[in-house]
Amino acid sequence: MNSAMYDIVYGRRDLRVHVPLSSCTLAAGSREVYKAVEDFINRKGINAEVHRVGCTGLCYLDPWIMVAGRGLPAAIYVNVRHVDVEKILARYLNRDFTGAYALRFKEGNVDYGVPLLDEKPEWRNQVRWVSRNCGLVDPESIDEYIMTGGYEGLRKALRMKREEVIETVKKSGLRGRGGAGFPTWLKWKITYEQRSDEKYVICNGDEGDPGAFMNRLLAESDPHRVIEGLIIAGYAVGATKGYVFVRAEKPLMADRLEKAVIEARERGFLGENILGSGFSFDIEVYRSAGAFVCGEETALIAAIEGRARPRQRPPYPATSGLWGKPTVVNNVETLAHVATIFQFGVDEFTKYGTEKSKGTKMFCVTGAVKRTGVYEVPIGTTIKKLVYELAGGPVEGKKIKAVQVGGPSGGCIPSNLFDLELDYETLQSYGAIMGSGGLVVIDDSGCMVNVAKYFTDFTLAESCGKCLPCRVGMKIMNETLERIVNGEGREEDLEILRDLGVTVIKTSLCGLGGSAPNPVLSTLRYFENEYREHVENKKCPAKVCPKLVTYVINEEKCRGCGVCAKYCPVNAITGVPGKPFTIDSSKCIKCGSCLVNCPFGAVEKA
Amino acid sequence: MVKVKVNNVEVEVPQEAYIIDAVEKAGFRVPLLCYLQGLFNEATCRVCVVKANGRVVPACRFPVQEGMNIVTSDDELEKMRKINFELLLATHNIHCWDCYRKSTCTLSTLSRELGVEGIPVCSECPLYGEECLVKQGIPCLGPLTVAGCDAECTRQSAPCIGCRGFTSSIDVWRNAIKYYRDNGISREHLESALSIFWVVIPVKLREIINEVYKQ
Repeated sequence: MNSAMYDIVYGRRDLRVHVPLSSCTLAAGSREVYKAVEDFINRKGINAEVHRVGCTGLCYLDPWIMVAGRGLPAAIYVNVRHVDVEKILARYLNRDFTGAYALRFKEGNVDYGVPLLDEKPEWRNQVRWVSRNCGLVDPESIDEYIMTGGYEGLRKALRMKREEVIETVKKSGLRGRGGAGFPTWLKWKITYEQRSDEKYVICNGDEGDPGAFMNRLLAESDPHRVIEGLIIAGYAVGATKGYVFVRAEKPLMADRLEKAVIEARERGFLGENILGSGFSFDIEVYRSAGAFVCGEETALIAAIEGRARPRQRPPYPATSGLWGKPTVVNNVETLAHVATIFQFGVDEFTKYGTEKSKGTKMFCVTGAVKRTGVYEVPIGTTIKKLVYELAGGPVEGKKIKAVQVGGPSGGCIPSNLFDLELDYETLQSYGAIMGSGGLVVIDDSGCMVNVAKYFTDFTLAESCGKCLPCRVGMKIMNETLERIVNGEGREEDLEILRDLGVTVIKTSLCGLGGSAPNPVLSTLRYFENEYREHVENKKCPAKVCPKLVTYVINEEKCRGCGVCAKYCPVNAITGVPGKPFTIDSSKCIKCGSCLVNCPFGAVEKA
Repeated sequence: MVKVKVNNVEVEVPQEAYIIDAVEKAGFRVPLLCYLQGLFNEATCRVCVVKANGRVVPACRFPVQEGMNIVTSDDELEKMRKINFELLLATHNIHCWDCYRKSTCTLSTLSRELGVEGIPVCSECPLYGEECLVKQGIPCLGPLTVAGCDAECTRQSAPCIGCRGFTSSIDVWRNAIKYYRDNGISREHLESALSIFWVVIPVKLREIINEVYKQ
């Protein structure tokens, strides 16, 4: 641990308690924990401070706190309730580390009886490259960012020529982390070569996929890194103004970015003549109303201009974008990568990744796994490693069936293909996309038809309605899926889904329609038997689709208490107390309240 | 000027031209719907899709490039066009019998061209308003029959007898039966006109007749 890191972890006082305050941990109750820690310190009158930090990305541990006392190891306590704070801190101060989840740092070779965080699989297998500061520094303090080497990259970049900056990014092989994987340097170069009095750079923070939150985490925990990347991008293409496009429904992310911009301006990293280089640049944080289609760059630009609707490309934004001027649109993570590459050098970056795609990528693993969270791994890591080693595999007694990669635009990868490497080309050839990097894990209690329907519901609601295939095609696909889920599926429905899906993908105007049928097509490709079971036998193999499930009472388990009959809203359950009850399936509306309320688990789905 | 190939015919068009200009110059046609030169060019209907260097793009809004190889028609394109056109028809409230557009309707001409059987004979029939045979109490089968015959019979004031068969859209059937009912044509009268089909009347159509006449 270097001295800057030591200062950040231990601070200037005797004790420093790190409490994460970001949207996710706040939801888990970290505000109360923060207050409890403050209370404790004030009451005991010890020379200590509470340190606001961002989130580490280990969501299943929220809310956690890290306690670092001078001369003591920095210990992490997880799933902390505010009532436990006093007990934890008192014990820690007595050098008793029982109950700690892990130690973040320790000095010397002392055995404290608690493992190091670096020894835990979910941490050991990560490469914290772009998320290195997440959960360590105060996101609202520019000083702490500078202590970790922040804005060093900008200084270096400003000393180079613009071509050299682009050349550096080219050497790093960085590709867009927003999904399509377009080489970042090429985008910059095209924009740089355009002749225009004004150019713009936009940071795309409109993360809208269900199950993806790495951009929010990054911008909330380390906003200066994103801002620094955006300034470097602005310098490289010769832009005059930058925009950070954030959803208004992520207020904390927008607030922190706004604060970071103000602080950077105060320190002279933004504004006229940045660091004496003669380059002038400013950034505005733009809060959008929040539509999924705004992730598409032309729609994003149109949203800043007034109305969020995509348009046909070409011309690409690099030649004619915002207000008709050359514009670069980069994802939050891409820009954070740029800043980190300039801080630590290209060689450090190219150590990781595959031949075609270098570096690391943050993945959000959610769904039916033990350890949900954001994990940063080198590109090319297998799905198996990510899902089983980092995220801990399925919950007890379940088996993982598939993983949906890339949100509503991505596809399902079945478990027998889990040896696939997560990179742009491999995923594309198997019918999924990297997308922003959300992985939703589905276990054997999930129905793939239902999953596909869920994602078409989403894209149907988010379609802007401009072009025909997406507006109507998705509606028809959704209706067809609804029919299948309700047991009214017809033999030709699968063919309709396939033909329509391909047409929508190939003829849609923008990327939303161009990828919206992916979940349906990929589930059809790998789980056709489940579709057939729904259509031909009117059965849902996973027993999820309500209309295709019948509820029965297991006579051996039933003790005749009658609770089920009490909860049944349509009086479909009858029986004599003390003897097994029965369900009249003609009356049953399949609400499932008997299943939930039976104290003996006697109600079963069939 | 740039040189492009349209279905292997080489043409020269200005740098800023769109694919449609090259296609027209080479003497080919692609169906156009939402495009109106100089007025509307947003590429929303996606019926004009062509293949440019193997990639499916809208002809009306895709700029030409030097050496571009354009294919205006193959099996895949025809299928996509047809599907997109069917999607459009599926959301169109078809009321050709009450519509003044008649022969000026692009939708009906295109549906004939693409071979989509969604539009009834009324779209081609010259009788409009009070002249309509159904309005005169005659159970003309035009509203239920596939267009494409240029309304030979009704042009001579004879009712349509449905020789081209039923349209493929259930929504059109429902609208048509309502039109018969609202113009005072009794169920027996309509059924006697339909009896020309004897037993091959679709079950669904019988259901709709039942449903509409019960209301």
